[in-house]
Amino acid sequence: MEVADRLRLTTSPGPGMPPAFEALFRKEYARVVAIAHRVVADADEAEDVAQDVFVSFYRKHPADAHYAAPWLYAAAAHNALNVLRSRERRGKRDAVEAIRRDTQTPDPAQAAETAETRSEVRAALARLPDRSAALLVLRYSGLSYEEIAAALGLRQSSIGTLLRRAEDAFRREVTT
Amino acid sequence: MSDIEDMLSVTEPKVDTERALARLRARVEGERIAPVMRGGAAPHRIGVNIWVRGLAAAATVALVATLLTVSGVAETILTIFEPKQLVAVPITVTDLNGAASFGAYGTLTWTEQPKPYDVPDIRTAARDSGMTVLVPGNLPTGVGTARYGVMNKTTATFTFSADKTQKAAAAQQRTPPPMPANIDGSKLFITGGPAVVAYYDDGTSPAGATGASGASPFAGMPKLIVAQGKPPVVQSDGVTVEQLQSYLLAQPGISPQLAAQIRAIKDPSSTLPVPIPVDMATSKKVTVQGVEGIFVGDSTGLGSAVIWQKDGIVYGVAGTLTEQQVLAVANSLH
Repeated sequence: MEVADRLRLTTSPGPGMPPAFEALFRKEYARVVAIAHRVVADADEAEDVAQDVFVSFYRKHPADAHYAAPWLYAAAAHNALNVLRSRERRGKRDAVEAIRRDTQTPDPAQAAETAETRSEVRAALARLPDRSAALLVLRYSGLSYEEIAAALGLRQSSIGTLLRRAEDAFRREVTT
Repeated sequence: MSDIEDMLSVTEPKVDTERALARLRARVEGERIAPVMRGGAAPHRIGVNIWVRGLAAAATVALVATLLTVSGVAETILTIFEPKQLVAVPITVTDLNGAASFGAYGTLTWTEQPKPYDVPDIRTAARDSGMTVLVPGNLPTGVGTARYGVMNKTTATFTFSADKTQKAAAAQQRTPPPMPANIDGSKLFITGGPAVVAYYDDGTSPAGATGASGASPFAGMPKLIVAQGKPPVVQSDGVTVEQLQSYLLAQPGISPQLAAQIRAIKDPSSTLPVPIPVDMATSKKVTVQGVEGIFVGDSTGLGSAVIWQKDGIVYGVAGTLTEQQVLAVANSLH
């Protein structure tokens, strides 16, 4: 895009949602929720994150942008990590309770234990540098190296190395 | 299953996409959020470009801000706003969407239309803008070469109209306070620019594409933007400012919090408020080029910007870079 075109980026005054945006939403919503859910481990919070991510995109980017999907994935990861960190700041009890709601098992004792474990893992994730945490979240949400590179603005050839470092850092955080 | 996959495992959430879309639609309509469209995608809808919107927004803020200190003395032409410093004003989605746009209060007439255009090199940018164009002394790894654009000096006249305000409010089923008679028909003369914008794309991509693979989240956005321009100046043909102040700050959609923040600006006639959308970005004061500036971080964690004013020019550096990188670029401008 040329400079003059950039400066002419406009907002539409028309009512209703553009069909292209609705198509984008239908195509990507489930994946955006899944990425957020991988981080916050709470389905309701994940859907809230996804809503904010789509609103943010709707406000700032055209629906037919070729970078729409990677933008949404990256924003889902970063916004969810922000939610996770806020939760951690509020204290361990809040963090466990949020995850407890999401833990579907008939045995209350087992549910509590699972929630506790998931909470500790996510506390470790929250302590990682943002890029490392986002790398892990996107990779373990099933994104390819190519998709992760696009989402995080990195070279595809460096993803493997960065991912291994992030995994090592994550293991260290979990065990401390 | 690897140990990390096991640790990060969750129960797959059940998603009702149509219900979620309905929820989003309700929010967008309820908060009157407008979608962004590319200029080329819907040419019949292009009416106001971002420069116009920026100028209008600056003029709106200038209006509200300057009303705080200028006394009601009406002179033939009074410079009521000439910014010499910047201040961050946090705004919310409600503030953004609840307030009427500047156009609802009257008519904006361009005497010199904004016409952004590309120039081949920095020399042309400097010649056309009449400014010394600063360049970064060093660039972060991965930033390519610059392309330049120039925005000409633009001037416009804004004429307040009680009738138009009334109609705009009625269309939105709102009841604003009546416009005082001496505001109705009064004029503001607004000058903005010139400005120069340098776009640096990712060094590994072909010209015009950005991002390591050509599709980063901020692709379509350059890797780095360096902008500089003359700040907007607003003059008045003698509107009574106290009335304008109380009138504008009493409008529906301007939250008490926003009004209080604007009132708190110590020297509004020389302070350019920089709106910071608190749900999308965070801001803090920083020192850049030896003066106070405002650092803004995108809430996605991927974008940063810094804006400052020095020697009568407003500068901005933004990009898909870290805070340290953006500040290093800003401080290296010479």
